[in-house]
Amino acid sequence: MELLTTTNGMEVVYQKPPTLTDTPLRYCPGCGHGVVHKLLMEVVDEMKIQDQTIGVAPVGCSVFAYDYMNIDMQEAAHGRASAVATGIKRILPDKYVFSYQGDGDLAAIGTAETIHTVNRGENILIVFINNAIYGMTGGQMAPTTLLGMVTSTTPFGREQQVMGYPLKITDLVAQLPGAYYVTRQAVHTVQAVRKAKKAIRNAFVYQTRRQGTCFIEIVSNCPSGWKMTPVEANDWLEKNMLPFYPLGDLKVPAS
Amino acid sequence: MISPDTTHPPHSLRLRSGNQMMAEGALQAGCTFFAGYPITPATGIFKTMIDLLPARGGVALSAPDEISAVAYCIGASMRGAKAMTATSGPGWALMTESVQYALMTETPLVVALVQRLGPSTGGATQGGQGDVLLAEYCTSGGYTIPILCPTNARECYELTILAFTWAELFRVPVIVLSDKETGMTIESVDVGSLPSITSQNRPSNFAFRELGGFRQNERKGTYYFDAIHEIPVFAPVGGPRKVTATGSAHDKQGRLQKNSPETLEVLLHLEQKVRWRLDDFAVVTADLQPAAGTLIISYGITARAARDAVSEARRMGERVSHLIVHSLFPIPVKKITQAAHNVDEVIVAEENMNGLYRSVIDRHLAGKRVRGVNKIGAMITPQEILEAIMS
Repeated sequence: MELLTTTNGMEVVYQKPPTLTDTPLRYCPGCGHGVVHKLLMEVVDEMKIQDQTIGVAPVGCSVFAYDYMNIDMQEAAHGRASAVATGIKRILPDKYVFSYQGDGDLAAIGTAETIHTVNRGENILIVFINNAIYGMTGGQMAPTTLLGMVTSTTPFGREQQVMGYPLKITDLVAQLPGAYYVTRQAVHTVQAVRKAKKAIRNAFVYQTRRQGTCFIEIVSNCPSGWKMTPVEANDWLEKNMLPFYPLGDLKVPAS
Repeated sequence: MISPDTTHPPHSLRLRSGNQMMAEGALQAGCTFFAGYPITPATGIFKTMIDLLPARGGVALSAPDEISAVAYCIGASMRGAKAMTATSGPGWALMTESVQYALMTETPLVVALVQRLGPSTGGATQGGQGDVLLAEYCTSGGYTIPILCPTNARECYELTILAFTWAELFRVPVIVLSDKETGMTIESVDVGSLPSITSQNRPSNFAFRELGGFRQNERKGTYYFDAIHEIPVFAPVGGPRKVTATGSAHDKQGRLQKNSPETLEVLLHLEQKVRWRLDDFAVVTADLQPAAGTLIISYGITARAARDAVSEARRMGERVSHLIVHSLFPIPVKKITQAAHNVDEVIVAEENMNGLYRSVIDRHLAGKRVRGVNKIGAMITPQEILEAIMS
């Protein structure tokens, strides 16, 4: 599982991490999931922890995560990923355990699990993909859908009076004493991808300190659900998502 | 909204999915409150209600999960709104807590359960008829929950209206048990010939006063009844007098009691109000043939394959009867035993592994040879049922 350094006399400047499988991604063109999968597996490969890492995927677009990440992976029931991850981590405290959840999974049906997992300070990493929509079921309003945003269940845009406000759950969990490292990242530009990777790497390293939960929100896109081209979606993300979900660290370890 | 009035003359064919027709049936029934959570293959009902209900002055809400969705509906129904939610197997698993609560509090409620392949997350885009008993026996104690089962888009409309009538009249949760193929297949519906009925309303103080009786019940508590099968007069929350409702075991006033004789009477009443009306709940389509040796029993999407198989078998000279059960529960025992009266053999065709419905009706078919045609992962074909008839 070593990275290649040279081939045919030419220098290798980029390659797919070996722990990312050769299975073609089923995600829609331009979707952020593939990038985040790659970053996770790059970190796993660089830290040489493929055999020590266990992931828990959600119900949603990334139900097939185990097909792409060549590590032990579970698909939990909808919303329960961080709870299943808790059980795994308590039995295998020396392993690297992460959950990988979308906005509906983590911030709607799994809100209780999310809050209590972080409040207990479970020594796991929660990766939270926020694209403000239910992608798999056809583009319904999610808890993180922006005000005014059109989805199939908010055909005239999300109205605060009817559907309430978009939930900034990352800000919420950052307030909990059990949270050790909380950050909000994106993967829509090269620069953002590099920062997101650093955050993921930090979170894996921090997990060995057993000081609490690491929580990384990735503000992502959904070209199909948003009914945009991938380029338009990334542009829309920058102009609309980031002002409401600003990137950066919300809580960092003291030292 | 399809209205079965002069807007659409007879033979107005429209393309509609079963999910759309279920939502439109709910509107025709006077449903004013809907809450849902996205789940394939039931999302079409949610989406249609979001599109149509607010424009008609009703409330359609997105819930953060199925636990909330069904609880919103119960709250609305406690005020008197005709309320409905829609889900599939995994969401149903979460709803069962509150469906029990609706049963215990005698709160009218309609749940559309569009089945997919299970267990657990199962196959979101694969059909199935595996939730039959999970739906019926979701209560501790196994109280009877009426279940209606459509075989096509038109029946989705008709049976949803009937579901509201049952829920309202008998103050029970009622399930409309559809499946992925029935719910998501888009087919021709003659919207001009749809029934113009709406659902009946729950027995309210107002209605009983109109009928000139039962007014004394108003002073006797939320769950007051004289005869064990009598439906208590509905008292809305937020109304002129104090209302108490509880999911705990309670007396006729709605006060928590452990095992007083009156509390046990209330529990008996929850079952007896359905049992006493068994004949009213029986909805079947019987296609019986004199001197038939075999009876096919089917429901939902499989009934359509069974119908084809039966006509093919008859064409080949076999004498065979067919019973499509639309009201799976309470089990229409009389209709089933009548249909099976003279046959030697009963074949129950259903898209699940273990013959779920067969397992609960075969006790009513003593002396008959009872077999199943069962399959998971794909629809049962007419050929497979035909082979069972001929073998």
